[in-house]
Amino acid sequence: MTAAIPTIAEAAKQIAARQLSPVELTKACLDRVHALDDRLHAFVHLTGERALVEARAAEAAIMAAGPKTPLHGIPIGLKDIVDTKGIPTTCQSKLLQDNIPDIDATCAEKLAAAGSVLMGKLTTHEFADGGPSFDLPQPPARNPWNTDHFTAGSSSGTGAAVAAGMILCGIGTDTGGSIRGPAAYCGVAGLKPTYGLVSRAGVAPAAFSLDHIGPMAWTAEDCAIMLQALAGHDPRDPASADRAIPDYRAALGGGLKGLKIGVIHHFHETDHKVGAATQRGITAATETFRGLGTEIREVQLSPLQDWHACGSLISIVERAAAYEEWSRTRLHDFGERMRTRLMLGAFVSGVDYLQAVRRRRELRAELKAAMADLDVVLTAVFPNEAPKIDALPKWDVFQQPSFMMPFNVAGYPAMSVCSGFGERGLPVAIQLVGKPFREATVLRIADAFEKATPFRDRRPPGV
Amino acid sequence: MPIPISDHAFEYLLARAGLTLTDAEKAELKTVCDGIAAMAERVRKPRGRMAEPALTYGFAEEDLQ
Repeated sequence: MTAAIPTIAEAAKQIAARQLSPVELTKACLDRVHALDDRLHAFVHLTGERALVEARAAEAAIMAAGPKTPLHGIPIGLKDIVDTKGIPTTCQSKLLQDNIPDIDATCAEKLAAAGSVLMGKLTTHEFADGGPSFDLPQPPARNPWNTDHFTAGSSSGTGAAVAAGMILCGIGTDTGGSIRGPAAYCGVAGLKPTYGLVSRAGVAPAAFSLDHIGPMAWTAEDCAIMLQALAGHDPRDPASADRAIPDYRAALGGGLKGLKIGVIHHFHETDHKVGAATQRGITAATETFRGLGTEIREVQLSPLQDWHACGSLISIVERAAAYEEWSRTRLHDFGERMRTRLMLGAFVSGVDYLQAVRRRRELRAELKAAMADLDVVLTAVFPNEAPKIDALPKWDVFQQPSFMMPFNVAGYPAMSVCSGFGERGLPVAIQLVGKPFREATVLRIADAFEKATPFRDRRPPGV
Repeated sequence: MPIPISDHAFEYLLARAGLTLTDAEKAELKTVCDGIAAMAERVRKPRGRMAEPALTYGFAEEDLQ
């Protein structure tokens, strides 16, 4: 790992041994924010003074009684659709420029209770959709590997800030790929957990039945540490699952011998053919997994376009419903991209929506059957490296089926893991998908992959 | 193939949704209505009247096997 930027696991070990001060760690992260964020725009609201106060309190508590969790004294960030008591939460929208919540979102509350140090609120696309936009209150985040390029979204600030070492981890949200996408383009690890595992309470909705909250960090192990703090039942979220939470970190390191991985070749080889760097990453990853003792099989599902249509129709309608009042009264206060997404809701009928929800049941059953004798399935996250930030098609939802949407449709846990670098030096990634509530297996496989490959040794240039 | 939307239907659906758009926005939106219709066709499969929609909340125990 880069000596200057520890992982959470490394920092937690040093903090517990009194070899690393949370205050010094926080100051180092703040220094990187001050040095880099003029170019990266990862933060919409930096809470530097507050972070130092929290870091000093953490340091005092740790000196007195040791760390209460591995996140104690660790600098983190929250996507700016996560409510934070007393701190502006704007959703990157003109509509909420003066919004200061009086209660924390559950995920913010849990990370605070774990002892983390909040560095601030991170850039998002407006209400977690529709980016990149250049007509919002603050500019879009830029990719730390090359600032001419896109971070993906909508957890764009989280991806950029983690990759640049401004924070050690952050919250992302994912309705059709908004954790895994920025993780892939920014070269970090991002886990969309099973639907219901992490509370959505206090997080602005994008599409109720597709929304997931999850960790983004430099490594799978760090995602495991963060997920440990986040997972668990919450009566404030009507979709919250009430299940026992395993020890995610303890599941790492057991080796992969005997595990079975299914590769959904047709997704990335025919349904939406990926570029050479992504294909090389998938092929090499498959070989790495074979070398680690897993059995590789082929998986057939419905065409990627079927999954994409199902998820997109549901997403369009649920977003239009969530923001209907403002759409009717303040449509032109939304940025252009979000506005166009909201308009689409007028053209999906109630019957269209319910046919999509019926299709969702069929597709989920199909995935369940395909995975019956597998531990995870593997496919791409994106077809290529990150494009230029000003080269994104406005109506990409109709042009490019998403590799990530299938697992929002199914609600299954899915993770983006860096699998190499393309011709332009930008990261590419693989996607690992587990069975419901089997995050421990996904994390175990991702962790083994990271440790068997050199990709975690390389940070963006200039970081 | 989805049937192209008529001007009358287009205006009606916008009015029903309570959306007030500029002429430029309307013109652009019309170019993607076929995309929506194609997606709506794609989710329609022969499934009979008894096929239930997906449950939004919670996986059943059988999903976890």
